Order: sequence, then structure tokens, then C-alpha cells
Amino acid sequence: MRSLQREPGVLLALLAVIALVAIFIVYPQVRVVLTPGTTYVDFLSAGTWRTPLMNSLQVMALSTTTAVLVGFVFAYGMVYTDMHWKPAFRLIGILPLLSPPFVVAASYILLFGPRGVITYGVFGQTISIFGLFGIWGVQTIAFFPFAYQLIADVLSRSDARMEQAARNLGAGPWTVFRTVTLPLSRPGLGAAILTTAIYVVEDFGNPALVGGQFTVLPTQAYGLISGFGDLPGAAAVSTILLSLALLLYVAKIRLDGGQSFVTVSGRASSMPRPPVPAWLSWVCFAVCAALCGMILLVYGSLVVSAFTLTFPINTTFSTSHFEYVFSGVNGVALRNTLVYGLSAALFSSLFALLAAWLVQRGQWSGRRVMDFLLIMPAAVPGLFFGIGYATAFNEAWLDWLNRGVLIIISMIFWNIPVGYQAAVAGLRQIDRSMDEAATSLGASSLRGFRDVLLPMLGGSLRVGFVTTFVRAVTTLSVVIFLFTPGTTVATIRIFQLVNDLDWGGATAFTVIDIGLAIVALSVMAVITRGRIALGASRA
Amino acid sequence: MRSPSDVHLRVDHVTKRFGETAAVDDVSFEIPRGSFATLLGPSGCGKTTTLRMIAGFYDPDKGDIILSGKRINELPAHRRGTAMVFQDYALFPHMTVKQNVAYGLRVAGVANDEREKRVGDTLQFVGLAGLGDRWPNQLSGGQQQRVAVGRALVLQPQILLLDEPLSNLDAKLRVQLRWELRSLQQRLGMTFVYVTHDQDEALSLSDWIAVMNAGKVEQAGTPWEIYYHPRTAFLADFVGAVNIVPGTVREVRGDEVVVAFGERSVTVRRPAGLALSAGREVRLCVRPEALALRPPSADPDGVRLPGVVARRAFLGDLMRYWVTVDGREWIVDQPDPGAAADFDGPVTIAVKPERIHIIAEQ
Repeated sequence: MRSLQREPGVLLALLAVIALVAIFIVYPQVRVVLTPGTTYVDFLSAGTWRTPLMNSLQVMALSTTTAVLVGFVFAYGMVYTDMHWKPAFRLIGILPLLSPPFVVAASYILLFGPRGVITYGVFGQTISIFGLFGIWGVQTIAFFPFAYQLIADVLSRSDARMEQAARNLGAGPWTVFRTVTLPLSRPGLGAAILTTAIYVVEDFGNPALVGGQFTVLPTQAYGLISGFGDLPGAAAVSTILLSLALLLYVAKIRLDGGQSFVTVSGRASSMPRPPVPAWLSWVCFAVCAALCGMILLVYGSLVVSAFTLTFPINTTFSTSHFEYVFSGVNGVALRNTLVYGLSAALFSSLFALLAAWLVQRGQWSGRRVMDFLLIMPAAVPGLFFGIGYATAFNEAWLDWLNRGVLIIISMIFWNIPVGYQAAVAGLRQIDRSMDEAATSLGASSLRGFRDVLLPMLGGSLRVGFVTTFVRAVTTLSVVIFLFTPGTTVATIRIFQLVNDLDWGGATAFTVIDIGLAIVALSVMAVITRGRIALGASRA
Repeated sequence: MRSPSDVHLRVDHVTKRFGETAAVDDVSFEIPRGSFATLLGPSGCGKTTTLRMIAGFYDPDKGDIILSGKRINELPAHRRGTAMVFQDYALFPHMTVKQNVAYGLRVAGVANDEREKRVGDTLQFVGLAGLGDRWPNQLSGGQQQRVAVGRALVLQPQILLLDEPLSNLDAKLRVQLRWELRSLQQRLGMTFVYVTHDQDEALSLSDWIAVMNAGKVEQAGTPWEIYYHPRTAFLADFVGAVNIVPGTVREVRGDEVVVAFGERSVTVRRPAGLALSAGREVRLCVRPEALALRPPSADPDGVRLPGVVARRAFLGDLMRYWVTVDGREWIVDQPDPGAAADFDGPVTIAVKPERIHIIAEQ
């Protein structure tokens, strides 16, 4: 604390960060939790939340299991085998991270719905695909790429030298995997499973589109507000959802912070991993190829639909859907998406960097609390976050505030964990002696931060920027309670168009939205002349 | 006593705790202006913590740090004028050599022309002329080290702090840069505060050494005092190899003390300022190179200790023997093994009494 008093600039920055976090992260959430007030008792005793809760748990168990299993095979194949087509698989595996997850549901309806290309077109059936099994299937496809990214990250960080040592001591490939690889990466794998479970349980778009009568917590909360204007009820439901997500999140943090044996060292990578049997490579190859085929089918049908008149009935090539997307309210939505996404990405990554520096390098009590608050939004369902903003800032005296600004702010703070964690990881790579060198040469802490750390943290800043941008342009749940006709965004329009069964418009819009994310990523990849690690995104 | 104006840096009853442990425990010392002062000790002894408190990276829990007569406890690190050279050099990787050296001047707002000139002079001075446009990762370890020194020196700091600046270099280069640092310091007449765990480095560089252990200064003084008149067994053992033998004071005769050890006794000089009386438990301490080996039949002057060679090691510049005398092992170093006789089996250790030093700890 004494060092802060000596540097008023740092103190000022710290107070600003604390104030912003309190207003834009803590306050809205507290408001939601407190909204139902005395009606909590009525609501809880009415019991209408029981079925959605059970449904949510059921979906979580099913979708997480399949997504993680499939993702694991994919990850194992990518990290351990020398199968063919790896670069293509890697590229296709990233695709779902760049799009709103609910496009899988949209594509699913297009392919397997009552008038679906495959169900009706090929087999002439009009079976019901809505409900639990629909959600399960769609979420498995939508979220296995996230599980794959997380698991591949854990597996690739496990030390090849350990595995070589085990082989050297006489263990076969399977024994090595069972007795060395798996135990070493168990905490990381556990965290990956829990993170996937959070994505699944918070997913709003997919259940909303293919859930039908099968209601889960996010869709119930949405239905209570949009159908009945029952804000207290929705607040209560989303508080239950938040508790569930936080529970998973706390468990994940404990696994992360616990005895993780996976070492992050730059030196280990030079050693190749021991080879795996050829048949295993082929099995992995078959699974990966099938999965990538599925992803290509999902996105391919979207692209085809976007470029044809009325897919699948009239498949004449047409750009009319794109003309439609660029005009009128859709054009506004597109422009808003770009403006909001860029502003949110810029401010979020910069603010996160400053906050990370204050928390990681400062010496003040309350750092741990701040650290938690800056990571916590990662566990907060987008729906909850959106309701929070709608509740907390829906005040008459704030009417002068453009709703677009509010949406940007919500995107900034909902995505803070992305930039924050990237910045923390970056700062950990930079020895404290760097800061101290600047200080001992006469630079104040803030000056040293600007001159020395900021340029060295360029990588973290870019990761934070790109990931936040991608998340901002693909999120549906955060903005669904905040938008107005003038401040609508791409995901909202896509959701509305799907509900209106305007498939041409919806798919063209989706193609453009994904295009935005791909362009952002490519620009960064070109600038940095290398690969960019992308934090996971979700709706 | 020194006059206060000669004292450049005074550390006065300084304590620093990390949780329960006192990393630095009531440490006091004074460093004269223009001297090469070294804090020496094993890892975890508190030497680096002390240095970092001088630099302002840690706040002392108790005590004062006084630079040129002014208390600087409350002065932020960047206003202290105590430039530091770091163990890993901490060169800014996104700046060229020139930009690294110029950084402090830029922060201080020194005008362009003057900055250019001073940076050029400094690069010349540390032997890096012509390398100004290189990036740190294009330099060898020794060159990086020079950039780190130059970057600090260009500011003409009151006092230069060096935190194990040579420990990342290979042995040959380390010895070479030692002399460069020493001559640099003497040419500039600047006060250096140097932290190291390497006793050779400390002995060869310093005007003054404080040996630290477990957060305290065990002893401070000239390298000569530290090496030949250690006050504690830890110190004797830490600085160079040493034979330490427990004994009992039999008799005090003016400046001479008779000490019994085992079945034998020896008459040695009483260290100044050390009050001893008969019956006091003390330790005798003698350096291996102060001992000589003779054939068992020889009858040299001074103390004779008959023993048997247990093992020996050829170290190049000397042959080290472990000789068992009355069940206790003594280390004896024979210089220039190529020219000296080779011993095995029964031998006699010869030592002049004045080479034996008494340690009497509280």
C-alpha cells in the first residue's frame, strides 16, 4: 500500500479499475440476484423451475459426455498420431469457434427439419427432430470443437520427455498413455470437461431453436421475459443457472489451481513424442474425417443456402439474400456488429491488460478479490449478464445513454476474462526484473508499464483483441435483452430470421458473420506472421 | 571511526519479513564512498533482499536506509538514483542496444544531442562501440552483461547496485569480466554494491565484504580479515575450504593462548579484542594451504601432527589430501603438484602456529 501512495498515477488507475469493475461487473449481477426479492419464495415453491433444471442437468450430462469423448479422440489424433490431413482437420476444427454456436441448430433444421434437405428431400419424412435428442445431437457437434481445443492444449503441454522416459523404461504405448500421459494431464482434462459443461449448460441459441417443448433453464428465462414480461421470474431462473455455472467453475478453478503436473516450459517441445501404432492413427483419422465431414456439411449447407434462391426447392444461384442482408435493418445490424465488436475488442483488451498489470504486479490488499472478479464473467451465462445490464441500467436518468454504448460496455466486461487471462499469461512470461530495470533507470511504474511491458505484451493484447471480437460478433445471449431496433446486431437478426423461417436471409447473414470473424483472425495471423491462439467463444 | 561524510550508504537496523520468516533480520552496515562493497552469502541469506531494499523494490519493515546522509525509505524506487544491474540483465528485448542504454536518459528528458553523445561515450567505455544497432538477442552473454552495465552507468548514478551480474556466464568469461568491473569501478570512483554467492568473486573484487547468513551479517570487513580471521565457523567454512577443530583454552599468557585439542595442545596468538579465559570452548581454524605434508620421519618447526593419507584428489593447480589424525580428517593442499613430492600412507602435517586462528562463538 505504501508504494501506491508514492505513485499517485498508479493509485488513480487502480481506483478507476475498481470503480469500473464494481459498476459494470458486480452491480448488475447483484441486481439480478436481488430482483426477485420476496417473490423468491413464491417462485421456488411454485416449482416451475424444477423441470427445466432437470432438463438442463440431463442435457449437460449427455452433451458434455459425447462432446468430450469425440473431442478427445480428435485431440488425441491431432497431438499423438501422424495421421494425414492434419492441417485441414485443424482448420475445420477452428471453424465452429468462429461462429455463433446456434448456427449448428439452424443448419440441423435445414437438413433434418420437417422440410429438411435430408429427412424430407431424400427420405420424404416429416419426423419431429425437436426436443432432447435434437439438442443433444446439435450440442455435440457444436461443442466438441471446444472440447477438442481445450483437450489438445492440455495434451500438447504434457511433457514428451516423460513419455520418452517411460518408453525407455520398457512401457508400451498404451501403458505409457495409461500410466504417464493420463495421470499427468488429469487436472487439465478435468478442467476441460468442466469448461465444456459450462458451455453446454449456458447454451441458449441451440435449445431455443431445436428444443421445442423441451425447456432448459436459459430458454425458460428467455420465455418468461419475452412471453410474460416476468422479470423477477426470469431473474430467479437465471440465478439458478448462474449457481450451476459457478459451481462448475469453482470446481474447474480448483482443478486448475490444484496440483497440475502439466508443466509449461518452452524447452520440452524439441523432443518428439513416441510413435503410436499405425492402426490407431487410422482409427483417429477415420473419426476426425467423419467429424470434419459433419462440420463441413453443417457449414456447407449454410453457404449453399445463402447463395441459392430458396434452398433446397429452388437451387438457382442468387446473390439476392446478400443484397437483403446489406440493406435496411439488416444493414444497420451488420454495421452495428462491426462497430460494437471492434470497440468492445479494443477497450476490453486494453482494460484487461491494465487490470492484469495492477493485479499481477501491484502490492495492495484485495488483489485476490479483484483477480476473481475479473475471471468470474467467464462463468456467468451470457443470458444472466444481459439480464443484469437490462435490469441495472434500465433507468430513466440513463436514457441519454445510447443503447449501443450499453451493448458495447456489456461486451467489454463480459469478455474481460479473455483479455485478462491472456495478459496474465503474458505477464507471467516477463520477469519482474524487466519492470524493476525500468524503475531503477528512473521510470515510474506507469511509465515502465507503457515503455517496457506494453510493447512486450503485444501478443497477449492481440489474442485478447481477436478473441473478444470473435466472441462479441457471435454472441446472442448477452445482447438479446439489450438490443433495440436501432441497435440490433447480426446474431439477433439471424435468430429472428430463423424463427421467421427466412432461411435465405438467415444463412446469408450467418455466412457474413462468420466471414467477419475469419477476416479478423486472418488479419491478425498476417500481422503476427504466425498462429494465434484463440480463446474459446460461445453464445 | 569514519567521518559521516565518507559514509555513502548506511543500512541501519533494517528488518524485512516475508510472512513469518525474517529474510533480513536487524542488519546494519556502512559503505564508504567510492568503495567496491560486496554482500556475500549462500542463497536465501538475505543479501538480494537487502540490495532490493536499497533499490526501493521492497520496503523495510523496520530500520532506515540512508544514502549520502538522507533517509530514502519513502523515496520511490525510480527517484533514488540507484541504478541496478540484474542477474539476468533484464535488457529490454524490443529495444536495440542503443535504445536500451538511452532509456534512462530518455525518461529523464535529456535532450537528443546530449543523449546521443552520452550513449556513444558509454558504449565506447564498456567496449560495445559499433554494436549499438544490434538487438539484445543478437549479443553474447558477455556483451549483454556489458549493455546492462552501460545502461546503468550512463545515468551516472550515485551508487551502482549489482545483483549477481556474472553468475550466468561461463567460468572463463566470469573471471575476465570480474577484472573489467573492478577497473571500471576504480576508473569511475563510483560506489558499487555487489551481491554474490561466489566467494572467489567477492574476495578478488571487493574493498569490503559483508558475509550474510540467515538474514544477519555474520561479519563485515576487508577480504583479508574475512578470509584469515573469520569470527564464526560458518564464515570460515563458507569462505574457502577450512579445517575446524574443537578445543579448550588451557591457559592465557598475555597475547598468547594455549589451546588443547584431543591429546595435543598448541600455543597461538590471541585475536585482538577477544576476551578468553581458561576452560573456554573454542575452535581452531586453519586453511588447507597453510598446512604442509612432510615424510613421517621429518621433524619440522612448529606443530607436528602425525597421520595417514586417507584419499587425495588432483585438482590441477594443487593436490588435495585428506589426512586422518587421531581419527579426525584434515584437509591439506599442496601447491604445484608437478614439482612437489607425492605422499601416501603415513605422513606428518606441519603447520606454523601463527597460521592457526581461534574462533570463539557466543
